[in-house]
Amino acid sequence: MNKEQFLTKLNDSLKRLPSTEREDILQDFREHFEVGLSKGNTEEEITSGLGSPQQIAKEMVASYRLEQLEETASTGNVLRAVWAVVGLGFFNLVIVLGPFLAIAGIVLSGWAAGLGFILSPILYLLNVVIYPEIFMLYDLFFALFLSGIGIFIAIGMYYVTLWLFKVFVKYLNFNVRMVKGGMKHA
Amino acid sequence: MNVQFKKGVLELCVLVLLDKQDRYGYELVQKISDQIAISEGSVYPLLRRLTKEGYFTTYLKESSEGPSRKYYALTEEGRTYLGELLADWERFTNGVNQLIKEGVRDE
Repeated sequence: MNKEQFLTKLNDSLKRLPSTEREDILQDFREHFEVGLSKGNTEEEITSGLGSPQQIAKEMVASYRLEQLEETASTGNVLRAVWAVVGLGFFNLVIVLGPFLAIAGIVLSGWAAGLGFILSPILYLLNVVIYPEIFMLYDLFFALFLSGIGIFIAIGMYYVTLWLFKVFVKYLNFNVRMVKGGMKHA
Repeated sequence: MNVQFKKGVLELCVLVLLDKQDRYGYELVQKISDQIAISEGSVYPLLRRLTKEGYFTTYLKESSEGPSRKYYALTEEGRTYLGELLADWERFTNGVNQLIKEGVRDE
């Protein structure tokens, strides 16, 4: 890739930014090329050193959107983190606690459904013990069938839970950075 | 090395390089990439972000070798931030080194 191609790609990927911002960014890279060339590097060497213009643009757009985004290296207990973020302001009560309860609800109901299905033959047999007169083989088989489905649901929920957990922690980190940035700005 | 990990460290590198003197973008990128394998382009988003956060100011200065260059200068706020990051870094590396030492001894 030569200088022109690099700058064109960068410019295309920065389309979402206002033109003054975009021009400012492009100027920095023009300068980078000029200095690099004056030190005797070729355009190709410089572009390969810089890496992907799309990736650079992504970072530029992200940091533009979340202007004062800060790197936070906090992992740890989700509940504690939720509480800490909620503590940053009333706004967070809605945008953090809301999704958190929704996700917790989904996870809980998924597991409840899975476990309920898995345990259905036991529940059925219990029922038969209490009311032996209504025993039907068909019902037992149906309960066993549900139990099988329940095992699949449980396996699925295991992955869904892991995934949701990861996504939510990301969301939380993102939220903390957003709020911090916003506060500093004010 | 892990990309996220490098990104955090990159911030520290840039601040340290500006502690003693003002530098222009290309110079910063070269200094860092001489020591650490990075994709050089990622330094510029970082410079913009830290400038927006008030840790740097920038100014244009003529160069004997060609067009004017954008120099980055550390602000007081930036210097304070650098101090914090250095303390974090020391605590972090001490902790990791300690764990490595213990890990090696255990085996």
